[in-house]
Amino acid sequence: MDFNIEMAAIVAVYFLGLLAVGAWASKRVKTSEDYFLAGRNLGFWVFTILIVASICSGMTILGTSGLGYVTGWPTIWEQVFVPLSAAVCILLFGTKLHAIGSQRGYLTVQDYFSDRFYSKNGIRGLSAITGILVSLIYMVGQFVAISMVLSWLFGISYHSALLISALIVSAYVIMGGLYAVAWSNLIQGLLLIAGVLIVAPMVISSAGGLSYINEVLAGIDPNFVQPWFPSWYPGEAGPYAGYAFATPLFLVSFFFLLSFGLASAPHVINNVFAAREVRYFKWAPLAAFSIYVVIMYLIKITGFAGRVLTTEGEIVLPSGVSNPSDYVFILGAEHAFPSIISVFIGVIILAAVMSTTDRLMLTIGTYFGWDVYKRFLRPDAPDRMVTLVSRMTVAAAAALTLLLAWKNPPALLAWLIWMGIGLMLACYVAPLLAGLYWRRATREGAIFSMVLGLLAAGFAGYWHQFVQPLPVHFSLFGFVLSIVAIVVVSLATSKPSEKVLDETMTGFYIRKRR
Amino acid sequence: MFGLPFDTFFLVIATPVLIILVLLFWALRW
Repeated sequence: MDFNIEMAAIVAVYFLGLLAVGAWASKRVKTSEDYFLAGRNLGFWVFTILIVASICSGMTILGTSGLGYVTGWPTIWEQVFVPLSAAVCILLFGTKLHAIGSQRGYLTVQDYFSDRFYSKNGIRGLSAITGILVSLIYMVGQFVAISMVLSWLFGISYHSALLISALIVSAYVIMGGLYAVAWSNLIQGLLLIAGVLIVAPMVISSAGGLSYINEVLAGIDPNFVQPWFPSWYPGEAGPYAGYAFATPLFLVSFFFLLSFGLASAPHVINNVFAAREVRYFKWAPLAAFSIYVVIMYLIKITGFAGRVLTTEGEIVLPSGVSNPSDYVFILGAEHAFPSIISVFIGVIILAAVMSTTDRLMLTIGTYFGWDVYKRFLRPDAPDRMVTLVSRMTVAAAAALTLLLAWKNPPALLAWLIWMGIGLMLACYVAPLLAGLYWRRATREGAIFSMVLGLLAAGFAGYWHQFVQPLPVHFSLFGFVLSIVAIVVVSLATSKPSEKVLDETMTGFYIRKRR
Repeated sequence: MFGLPFDTFFLVIATPVLIILVLLFWALRW
């Protein structure tokens, strides 16, 4: 699109709004607890939308509609599994973590790990360093997505887009910590919800309505209207192309990857400590899932509609970009609306990407300031210093990922993002579930589980990308191994003390009723 | 249904509805 002044004005207003939130939030940050966890003072909707918006990344709009365009209905399960991760995070992990955390003053999930697995440094260091690495990888992907949108919308260069977006996001995160992230996410989340509710139905109806869309899809490939693809590519002879990866077997691995891997992601799970009251965990899983699933289905079906519009020559995907299908939501929206409206669509997409990026930055800052600097480098550091170091880390992380995203490495980008979530699944889920619900899980079990899970997921990921494609998502191997490791090693080592288990509310229950 | 085979339609509607019911059960049993 060509640059025009109205668009620049709208986006400038949006950016100024975010900076204003940052400035307002900075006044509320007095302690590191305020900076990391918004003083454990988030209300129901701010908390619920924060969880959803942290998960809901740039992939959500561009990637979901793009995947719908390429693969049809068989990948609709992604739109069930991802919203489910919000419910899993809040219900299965969050209810108990919040209860223990507010009693024992946890600031990060590493505080829990180190308490539950009576390991002062080992688990904390391992989990924090992995968390920082995974978040950095993920952040590079987000930055590339933001810049893609900005440069597309305004016809400015990829690099200026990258600089602008990184400056704005880091500014409000550095100023206001989780207060700024949570409140800007509320604004971004509401924009996203409203935008999708308006845009998606219009695009779908402009493509001829759902029934017609499905007819056209079935005409392109009959499997596009099936719940999954019958076989995977490559290996088996047949007419299926590379898009037919969503077989039943693959979908099983996809379920664990998305519903549990994302739920345990550092930038998602740490939010549970910030809820003001425990009763939020009653309705938040339902609220988060229901809103998220409706939005995701609409975005996906918009991708289908875009496929129809392309087939009929109504829209043309851009050429000369590495992932043309990811532009289908924007193009579909431009087709259905006059051009001035489409700038709002740009803002909506930006909102989705930024809402993950800001949370990732803060997570890296928190992990470094609290789990590395305060625990390992300078245990006697005053609280003010910890917050300062975290803020500096946010700036450093922004600079580093900017550098990594600068060369626009699209070929490995998707793989890196999947690698990020895959490592989360293989590293955190087994120790979290076993720690919370199984009294026999031991420190040695947890360490082995994390290390083996990481190595196996890394190895399988490498194998999948560079040696031979695997029929399931590569993270499944690491996940299975991490479960086996925690069970076998825990049973082979001596039982944790009852005192530790009682203090950390370990046992096969989610919540004790009074 | 909406141009979809019955299996597909049923599964893509029934799965999220089932999850919603489970989460509703969680909330009501709190």
